[in-house]
Amino acid sequence: MAALAATAGGLLRLRAAGAEGQWRRLRGAGLLRGLLQPDSATGVAAQRRLVAHFTFQPDPEPQEYGQTQKMNLFQAITSALDNSLAKDPTAVIFGEDVAFGGVFRCTVGLRDKYGKDRVFNTPLCEQGIVGFGIGIAVTGATAIAEIQFADYIFPAFDQIVNEAAKYRYRSGDLFNCGSLTIRAPWGCVGHGALYHSQSPEAFFAHCPGIKVVVPRSPFQAKGLLLSCIEDKNPCIFFEPKILYRAAVEQVPVEPYNVPLSQAEVIQEGSDITLVAWGTQVHVIREVAAMAQEKLGVSCEVIDLRTILPWDVDTVCKSVIKTGRLLISHEAPLTGGFASEISSTVQEECFLNLEAPISRVCGYDTPFPHIFEPFYIPDKWKCYDALRKMINY
Amino acid sequence: MAVAAAAARVWGSSRGLGRTGLLLLRRPGARGLARSLPRRQEQQHFPSLDDKPQFPGASAEFIDKLEFIQPNVISGIPVYRVMDRQGQIINPSEDPHLPQEKVLKFYRSMTLLNTMDRILYESQRQGRISFYMTNYGEEGTHVGSAAALDNTDLVFGQYREAGVLMYRDYPLELFMAQCYGNVSDLGKGRQMPVHYGCRERHFVTISSPLATQIPQAVGAAYAAKRANANRVVICYFGEGAASEGDAHAGFNFAATLECPIIFFCRNNGYAISTPTSEQYRGDGIAARGPGYGIMSIRVDGNDVFAVYNATKEARRRAVAENQPFLIEAMTYRIGHHSTSDDSSAYRSVDEVNYWDKQDHPISRLRHYLQSRGWWDDEQEKAWRKQSRKKVMEAFEQAERKPKPNPSLLFSDVYQEMPAQLRKQQEALARHLQTYGEHYPLDHFEKWDKAAVQQSDQEAIRAGPAQ
Repeated sequence: MAALAATAGGLLRLRAAGAEGQWRRLRGAGLLRGLLQPDSATGVAAQRRLVAHFTFQPDPEPQEYGQTQKMNLFQAITSALDNSLAKDPTAVIFGEDVAFGGVFRCTVGLRDKYGKDRVFNTPLCEQGIVGFGIGIAVTGATAIAEIQFADYIFPAFDQIVNEAAKYRYRSGDLFNCGSLTIRAPWGCVGHGALYHSQSPEAFFAHCPGIKVVVPRSPFQAKGLLLSCIEDKNPCIFFEPKILYRAAVEQVPVEPYNVPLSQAEVIQEGSDITLVAWGTQVHVIREVAAMAQEKLGVSCEVIDLRTILPWDVDTVCKSVIKTGRLLISHEAPLTGGFASEISSTVQEECFLNLEAPISRVCGYDTPFPHIFEPFYIPDKWKCYDALRKMINY
Repeated sequence: MAVAAAAARVWGSSRGLGRTGLLLLRRPGARGLARSLPRRQEQQHFPSLDDKPQFPGASAEFIDKLEFIQPNVISGIPVYRVMDRQGQIINPSEDPHLPQEKVLKFYRSMTLLNTMDRILYESQRQGRISFYMTNYGEEGTHVGSAAALDNTDLVFGQYREAGVLMYRDYPLELFMAQCYGNVSDLGKGRQMPVHYGCRERHFVTISSPLATQIPQAVGAAYAAKRANANRVVICYFGEGAASEGDAHAGFNFAATLECPIIFFCRNNGYAISTPTSEQYRGDGIAARGPGYGIMSIRVDGNDVFAVYNATKEARRRAVAENQPFLIEAMTYRIGHHSTSDDSSAYRSVDEVNYWDKQDHPISRLRHYLQSRGWWDDEQEKAWRKQSRKKVMEAFEQAERKPKPNPSLLFSDVYQEMPAQLRKQQEALARHLQTYGEHYPLDHFEKWDKAAVQQSDQEAIRAGPAQ
């Protein structure tokens, strides 16, 4: 687990360093002949690693929160954590490798700034990390636990579902662990395969007592993370890892909150409602643009933001208006969170529906490596589903 | 790349090096490089003071003889005791010399617990409560340890530690209220019997999953350390729960993060029907402590003074030195696992009788008290009658009380009630209006949504538990 985690971080760093250095070394060793050339005389196209399946769309610079700074997603997370540790003296951050800055650099600089008793490594044990975090929170201190990849959250499933989620209820509110927040990198990253790409929100959606949140951008991430940390219930905050570096926008330096359990209509429309969260919001945004351009269809795009408890009212209000709903997520289709949304919407808005609700999701397989481009619910699959709904 | 060629001659094919090897070559003089160049064959061996292992993972001495370490299960870690089985002090320097009042409190707590156990076990047999777990034979582990702590030390238990609450003067009324799930239950009727909790007495509410409390207790201890609270956290668990991954997690975290915590293992010989020979193969739980770097001791759990002394010293040092302590209290589960268990299916009545008659924490303490002249048969008779009366009164009262308002089914899932849950609550209210006759509403307080809303607001104002 750890080796792969280090490798994954390493892979991203190497990717960032660029293919350049790699070419130089291979050329110098005389090994280049017969290997890949940018434009081969044989006419076979070079097998490059593919570009991302989405384009990050930054939101306009926020005006109402004071001075902003250009930040990517991991920097926005760092900023939120920095703000939290600054104003809450009980707050601590812990997990695997957080001390040196974290495999995704989310905690860079925090140990130096706040001390080794507040930002520290734990042994390699997710059930321990979450159990330990619950215990801190039971005393009233703020616990911010990092799970290195959402794919590795499962050893902690018992502590999350049987303990954290039920602490307040089972004790008759004598005890709670509301000041616990668990953060984990989430979602596809282009090459993560089975164990560095998962989106496990559906497992947790079935668990009353916790909150589950997924941001789409740096600005959203900082505000939502701060809300999770301050929320008086245990929260899981999934961070789309593919956006850590790729998503850049202006983010306020001071703390601010984005509310939980409120979906955001990021584009208004009249013909069809598109719902997604995290990275997939940028995919459906692009689909909305394609639909307008090619089909003259006006899409209402909703970022759900909080998976549990989810904002039923905003989604239903939209579907009542448009009559059509398409939900899309990377996680596998069966039992994915789109099924919950679909089921509730058909209960509440049955007579308003012009077409069956469409779910464009990952296939019911583990997340594959080399087949990722075929696996993910990309804009073409979403566009095709949208087209079928319009023509229903 | 001339370096690469040279290196290739030394190591063979450079292909085997991979990228890491190439990186090493590009930084000549790196530590790894200097060491790994092969020397010419030399006959002399200089005993070098520097010839010690340098591994980051472990740096003990080298050994040139192949030897496996024998797990020491035969002689094992000795069992510390203060009294013999007849309640006589063996080594007077180990006698804690506790005042009479305190030792009488030990005795009364243990016997009152025993009396309450008998009555509540019976009440389950009669169908009055749904479930019960007795503490027979383990009263010494509870009371000896609880007495050695400060009242504000935080307790995380498993489910067989009611004596800790008893020692902290948790009223009989509240024990019963939780077992009956009646309107006085602080837990609001949410859990099965014996899942006690008390914020005032710093006893975290019990949960059924085993060993989950262990890493939580460690986190609480870490927070106590950061808060300079001069508090210890004590975490109780059985020898069966110690097999869970959460136990391993808790021990390792406590040691690496230097937490002021006492791990108190009640080794009572059985995990339901599973004897210790099927639970572990090493020398019990105490022997695991050193593997984690944890100070450890094994004590006679049926000797309340041994338990007291060990816990007292562990507490003092845990707080002073910010390190964990592991106490394995050897005892015997005289009762069945629970009212759902009949232990005659897997152990002999003779075995149980031995412990009940020959090595019981209550008898041993009574002999001690009697030999000091602090207790006699008359007082024993009177106390038995009085304690039984107290328990029966509490029991009868608990039976008469109604169950809580059913709308409390819905509160405390979150601090605030989410909109969707409120809709479900309203749906049940409407359902009961039509179909209420099919539900046991007579035994419950009247449905009152307002009471639930009020308790939401109170919770928000009250803030977190300490």
